[in-house]
Amino acid sequence: MPGAKDDTRDARLASLMQAAQQGDQRAYAQLLGELTPILRRFLWSQRRFLGSADIEDLVQEVLLSLHSVRATYDPKRPFMPWLAAIARNRLADGARRYVRRAAHEVQVDEFPVTFAEEAANTEPGGVGDPEELRRAVRALPKAQRQAIEMLKLRELSLKEASAISGMTIGALKISAHRAMGSLRRVLQKA
Amino acid sequence: MDTRTLIDRLAADPTQVRRLPAPWARTLVWLALSAPCLALVVAVKAPRGDLVVKLAEGGFALDLAAALVTGIAAAAAAFLSTIPGIDRRLLLLPLLPLLLWLGNIGYGCIDEWIRFGSDSMPLEQSWACFRRTLLATAAPAIIIAIMLRRGAPVMPVATMALGALGAAGLGHVAVRLFHSQDSSITILVWQLGTVFLLIALASLAGRSLLNWRTLIGNSLRQVDPNHLRTG
Repeated sequence: MPGAKDDTRDARLASLMQAAQQGDQRAYAQLLGELTPILRRFLWSQRRFLGSADIEDLVQEVLLSLHSVRATYDPKRPFMPWLAAIARNRLADGARRYVRRAAHEVQVDEFPVTFAEEAANTEPGGVGDPEELRRAVRALPKAQRQAIEMLKLRELSLKEASAISGMTIGALKISAHRAMGSLRRVLQKA
Repeated sequence: MDTRTLIDRLAADPTQVRRLPAPWARTLVWLALSAPCLALVVAVKAPRGDLVVKLAEGGFALDLAAALVTGIAAAAAAFLSTIPGIDRRLLLLPLLPLLLWLGNIGYGCIDEWIRFGSDSMPLEQSWACFRRTLLATAAPAIIIAIMLRRGAPVMPVATMALGALGAAGLGHVAVRLFHSQDSSITILVWQLGTVFLLIALASLAGRSLLNWRTLIGNSLRQVDPNHLRTG
């Protein structure tokens, strides 16, 4: 019976939480320890595009949230819906924060030179021979060449480049990143 | 900070948690705290002279009862909304009494329209009504806002809107007890207008008043006086 295992787990987590509410620090550490992999799996299933560091940040956010509202848990009620509601809420909060931040942010792959002193700038100032650069761009694989032309030379936005090329935004980012790496290697050798 | 260290820090918090009472119990506490404040407002402003006669009128009594039940149901729903994982349909608790309350006032408006005609409906411009409603709503609103901050901010906008409706319901009852204004259209526009304005303002303030950042900050201060964050 698939539900019986879940019920047992829920009952165990609920009793650990009840003990934690009464000040049992070991029960609380055990509860949070058991919840961590559950939360990791849940958050990853909801945000598959995030890296493991971002997922870990989210897990910690949910644990902190759980800690701050542990007084709202009633041991007579099931534990997992209570936890899932907090996790979903924090995910939605994170998405709202991301949208707000993205609206005020300009994404750049590389920061421009920032210091007047030459020695402080580790990146070379530019490519000496434009023809060399043109040749290097022409030698790139098709997807990388398209990405570099649209994003770096024509300075289109990711959305515009995606609409024109039919590539996804993720694929464009990866292609542009790889292309930059290839160009850097080729031009350093030249 | 890695997750294991965070867990150790959180688990080391020796504070015993005082479990939040059930929503209905919190509603009763809110009523018990608000009632004396409202009684004081009614006493200071002096109850209307014809109160006993008016209470015998069906429309007046229904208005009071519907506003009171709406206020209590909305407060209970507000407290419920601060518990993660509750059935969201419970938040519709005040809907029925609210419809009854609005319906009763709407019926009064139609009745006045039939009796006076649309040109001479007794709509008065009454900023005093606005001020009275604010005065009567203030105490229950402040009390419920403080109480709601102890819950989880899982739906802050709905929580604050319901809390404001709860306070406004009680406030309306108090206003009707001391203010001799029986024109339904004036009540609809000025008193209920103020009620919905308060709900809108409370909804806008929802995320500022009830948010995770403040809550986590407060609980972290107990765990670690240096207020360590993850990262």
